[in-house]
Parts: sequence; C-alpha cells; structure tokens
Amino acid sequence: MSVEDVLSRGAHLLTVEVRLLWAVGILYMVAAILSLYGLITATHRSGRMPHAILGFTLILHTGVILLRIFETGRAPFQTLYESLSWFSFTSAVTYLFVSKRWRRVGLPCFFVTLIASCAIFYALLGRSPEAKPLSPPLQSWWFEWHVVVAFSSYAVFVVSSAFEATYLIAKRLLKTRDYALGLAPEELKPFRTMATKLVIFGFPMLTFGIFSGAAWANEAWGRYWGWDPKETWSLITWTVFAMYLHAQSVPRWRENVASTLNLLGFVCMIMTFLGVNWLSKLLGIPSLHAYAV
Amino acid sequence: MRRAENIKRRVYRWFSSIKTSVYLFALLVVFYFIGTIFPQGADIERYAEAGGRFVEAVRLFGFLDIFHTPLFYLVAVLLLINLSVCTWDRFQRVRKRAWRESPDVERRLSLALSYRETEELLEEFIKKQRFRLISRDEDTLTAEKGIYYRYLTLLYHAGIVLCFAGFFLTGLFVKEGLLILKQGEPTPIESQMMPEVRGWLAPEEPPQFKIQLDEFRTEYILSRKLNYPEDGLSRLAIALGWQDITYTEEERFYPKDWFSKLRILVNGSTALEKTIEVNDPLRFEGYTFYQVGFEEKLKLKINDKVFTISTGRKKNIEELGKTLIFTGFRKGTLFKPDGTVEQIRPFVTLKELKEDGTRITLGRLHLGESMEIDGKSLRFEGFEETSILSYRYDPGVGLLWYAGFFVFAVMSLRCLGRWYMLRFRIDEDEGGKTILTVAIHCRGLMADSQRVSALLNTHLERYVRR
Repeated sequence: MSVEDVLSRGAHLLTVEVRLLWAVGILYMVAAILSLYGLITATHRSGRMPHAILGFTLILHTGVILLRIFETGRAPFQTLYESLSWFSFTSAVTYLFVSKRWRRVGLPCFFVTLIASCAIFYALLGRSPEAKPLSPPLQSWWFEWHVVVAFSSYAVFVVSSAFEATYLIAKRLLKTRDYALGLAPEELKPFRTMATKLVIFGFPMLTFGIFSGAAWANEAWGRYWGWDPKETWSLITWTVFAMYLHAQSVPRWRENVASTLNLLGFVCMIMTFLGVNWLSKLLGIPSLHAYAV
Repeated sequence: MRRAENIKRRVYRWFSSIKTSVYLFALLVVFYFIGTIFPQGADIERYAEAGGRFVEAVRLFGFLDIFHTPLFYLVAVLLLINLSVCTWDRFQRVRKRAWRESPDVERRLSLALSYRETEELLEEFIKKQRFRLISRDEDTLTAEKGIYYRYLTLLYHAGIVLCFAGFFLTGLFVKEGLLILKQGEPTPIESQMMPEVRGWLAPEEPPQFKIQLDEFRTEYILSRKLNYPEDGLSRLAIALGWQDITYTEEERFYPKDWFSKLRILVNGSTALEKTIEVNDPLRFEGYTFYQVGFEEKLKLKINDKVFTISTGRKKNIEELGKTLIFTGFRKGTLFKPDGTVEQIRPFVTLKELKEDGTRITLGRLHLGESMEIDGKSLRFEGFEETSILSYRYDPGVGLLWYAGFFVFAVMSLRCLGRWYMLRFRIDEDEGGKTILTVAIHCRGLMADSQRVSALLNTHLERYVRR
C-alpha cells in the first residue's frame, strides 16, 4: 500500500483509528479496575498506577481524536460515535486536572474511568464509525461551539458527581471510622467544595451550550426553541443544576438536598446525552436531534 | 390595615425567597418531563387510537400541548415574579452592602508597630496589590479588588428577566409559516403547507411585499458506503486485526447544500436580491426567510400515458402490475473525493415494492431515458422543482439574543472572575504595639485566599511578634 493510499482518507485510516479507540477503551477500563483494587485493598500506592495509566491513555486518545480530524477534515463531533469519544476524553482530562490534590482518593477515578470506558465501548459496539459528510444544517459555526461547549460541560458534571458521590459515601463511613476512601474527616469539606466548584465552572458552559443551540436552530430552521425532547432535557439538566446552586444558599439544604440535586443533575445529563434518543425512539417521539444518532 | 400589611410582607418574603425559586424550578422540571414523555402537538383522538395511555388525564391536563397550558404559564409567570422580586430585593441590600460575609481566612497578628505605623503599612500593601480602599472607620480598613460579585449576580438575574421579556414579545407578535416557491412566480407571504402560527397581537394581514424564486440548485458530495459489521463479535474481530474495515463500491450522494436565489418585490419592482442556503437566511422588513427544504415532482411516461409523482412516494403502475418507489432524485453539482467537480445528469432510483414489504432496486433512470420493465418502457420525461422556505416575523428575538449573551458573559465573569475583600481591624496593645485582625473574603473560581494571605504575611513578616 502506497503512502498516497494510506493518506487518501480511505478505510485503512479508519481501521487504525477504530483499533486505537479499542485500546483506549480497554486502558480506561484497566484504570477503573486498578482504582477499584486500590479501594478494596486500601493501599495508597495502588492509587498512583490508575493515574499513570490514565495519563498515558489520554495521550493515546488525543492521537485518536487528531486522526479523526485528519480523516474527516472537520471538528470530530458530528455523530454520536464521535461525541461519545469526545465526552470520555474531556471527562478524563477534567478529572486528571482537578484530582491533583486528591490522588489517593480512588473512588472518583473509578467512576470517571468506568464512565469513560463505557462511553467508548458503546461507541464501538453500538454505533458506526462512518465519517459521513456534514449535512447542510450542521455546517454552522454555532454547531461546533454548541457541541464542544455542551459536551465539555457534561464532562465537568460527570467529575463533579463522582466527587459528590464519593463525599456522600465517605461522610457515611466516617461516622464509624477515622479514615475512609482516602479521606480524613477534616478533608471532607474541601473535597466537597471541589464538586461545587466544578458545577460553578460547568454551569455557564451548559448555559452557553443551550444558548448556542438555540442560536443555531434559529439560523438553520428559523425557530430558536421547539420544545424538542432533547432541547427540553437539556433545559431539565440546566434547571436541576440551577436548583443545586440555589440550594447552596439555603443553609438547611446545603448538605443532603444539594448533594442529591448534583447527582440528579448527572442522571438528567445522561438522559440528555443518550436517553432522549432512546426515549424518543421508544415512544415514537419525533426529534430534530435524531440525525445525530 | 395591620392584617393587610402583614399579608403584603408575607407575600413579598415568599416571592423574594430562594426557596421559592427552587420550588418553582422543581415544578417546571415536572412540566418539562411531561413534555418529553407525551408527543407534543399530537391530536388527542389520534393519540387514543394509537393506544395512548391515561387518555382522560391527558385530555384534562393538556399533556399533548403542555407548554401552552394555563398551568404552565402560571408557573412561568410566578417564576418571573420571583426572579424580579429577588433581583430587586438583592439590589437594595447590595446597595447598602447589608450582607454579613463570612471570611474565608481570618487571622490575628501582634505587630511591633504603633497604630499609625500599622495603618501606613496596610495602606502600602493595599496600594501595592492594587486593592481599592472602600471604607475607613475608626479602627477598621476595608479594601476590595475585582468586581463585587453580588453586582454580577444581580446583573445576570436582571439579564434573565430581559430574556423573559424577549419570550413575551415573541409570544405577542410572532408570525411563522411555510412557503412553497415555484421558479419565476411572485408569491405573497401567506403560509401554504400549514396554518400560520400567529402571536396574540400579530397583525393578520400579510406584508405588502412578495417573494420570488429565480433559481434553485443543489450540491452533492460523492461517497461510498462503509462495509462495517452490525454485530459485536465481528466488530471485536476488527479490533483484534482479524478483519479490516472496507468501503463497498455502492455510491452515495450526500447533500452538501441547497441554494435559492430569491428576489423581494415591492409593488412589482425588486427591493432586494439574495441567494440563501441553510444557515444563511434572507432578512427583510422584520421578516426572515429560511431555506428548509425542496420538493421535486417527476414526470414519467409509460405506454403513452404520462403521470407525475413526488420523489420518495410509491405508486402502483397498473400497466406494469407493480408498485414502484421513486427515490433519490439527484441533479445539480457533484463534488467527488478526488477533488473534481461535475454536473449530475439528473436521475431517479427506481425500486420495486414487493407484497411482503421488501424493496428491490431496479436501477437508475436518467432524464430523457427509458427503462425496460417486464417488456414495457418507462420513460423519465421531466421534473418540476419547488423550494420550501419557512418565514418568521419575531420582534422578540433580538432582545433575547442580546440579553442571552449578556447573561452568559456576566455569569462567566461571576463564576470565573476574582473578587477579594480585605478587612483589617487594628487594636492598640500595651507598650505602643498593635493587634491586627485580618479577614480575607474571596469569590470566584480563580480567587485564592491563601495566596493573598501569603502575600500579606510576606509584607508584615518583619514586624510580627512571635
């Protein structure tokens, strides 16, 4: 095979890309298993390995995304296959960035890498990697920003909910112990603050995601809001996180109510991302977003 | 009188409460959820016929049009009142700075300096670190850096109120419909395929101008179908290197773009000309025209009998005793993977629909050519093309965009930006020394109270008594 053949954007590059993505999915899963092992054996040293693997996987994953950009000649977010890959990439990057102070706390690493690997395997086993040309409505500046910002906010919320869930479990365990899940009682508050900070960071991004989606719909179809199920679910997610941020201002709701809302926001986000298409198909609800499947 | 005052105060307190906002948000989430479960805009009779559940409840509560029910409007209006009252209430308090901020860092230091010297040293620090001195009481200095975050919070909440105003204007004055344009025919702005969606105060008369289609063209990209297995095991085999992904020889024409060359006519003379495409509409006198699609009608001939059919439709051809489907009509410009561009010889793909529902591809029929089917000749005589536009008149959308962008920008500044407030209390100690109490407040993801504390430490280090 000549160099021209390889670079002719044919199936050879796609085969390489798909195989590399399999490797990425497997490595995320290995990081998740090692995090779990660290949790079970409660050895701090075992916490370093998942982070090292995660760092290496991210380098590989960056390569896969760059390869995809080279193959398609556009930003890699058009299909659900591409979006899932981007979602797991941004989740892992966000986690690695914010977890510097909390390397010995293995549970958030387990949650994030598990979700990242599940997203990759769903992309590989459930979707097609075919790189179709962009359909006319997707050829918009708003589209790229809408998807990249919305999915980045989802990634931030995934990491936030992983921290929140760890906080809730550790808080319960610390009632009977002096040390749980790599956390001492006095570390609980700053650990939980990280979950709140992530929501504060992700919320304006989600706001822009919805705003840019409306602007794009207005330019493409002449209607900025159509109560389409995907639009509505993104609004549900936004509203739940708005409730979370407001609950932080009410002293009695700052603890359990706010934590529950953060986790509920995560569920709604998953519904926006994957559930809407499934729900729309199941109930026969027409959705403009169906083309993204 | 006292009772009325009491009620007024209670109502104000209820509307200015954050708890009320959370309850109203929760109610809205319930409405949104219902809206994603039940098909919006569907007819209740058809819903019942299709085996829909809870028909009576659906009819009673208007679940098939939940976002236009009085209950939904009521909750939305209550939220708007809550938002406005909250914003006003906070504005009053922010103006007076009537908040008790709990400090992020609080420290007490004993300094080997006199009251005056301590004051000078702190002023020097405030100046050096570019803080603003905002108040100086008898024994307290207060300095600030960055935009006071509560102003930003107020501003973006006010921006959300403006967004609501935009929605309200849309609800009052919006006009929306679909137009089918044939080449060369001036068409009035009256919805053709669906009844015009009209706001409560939108004028009923169409505008004085007309629109005309001068040319319609399409562009396609040539690609091949990917041979990618559906089952997980075969996909795993690709991962393990036992199989490769390949492209089939089957050609596919993916739409690249559609263009309509339009002309706006006022009293018969041209006022504006523009070629529009998807994502690039035409705007004139508050109306916006969007390219949403196109339709082709094919003219075919069999045994000297001519018939017309829309693309994608099936037709029982009596002469053949078969049901045919005419799909994938293609004409216009074709962009090939090798970078070359060519004009497509117009063609339609013919499929035979069998009784068991299976479709058998018979082949491509080009314009001006015939296809032999069971010894009979089917000829493609011609086609007629129409461009489908949607139009919208919406005076609320401009306000919504400006307010929405403002909300996003201010919210980002509030969340990411830095705000610090330093409060120094100086108390004289015995022997001409001073006790300094430092309170550091900060907000925003970029703010770092420990850093400011460390800088202050360095500044005071020489004078601190251990």
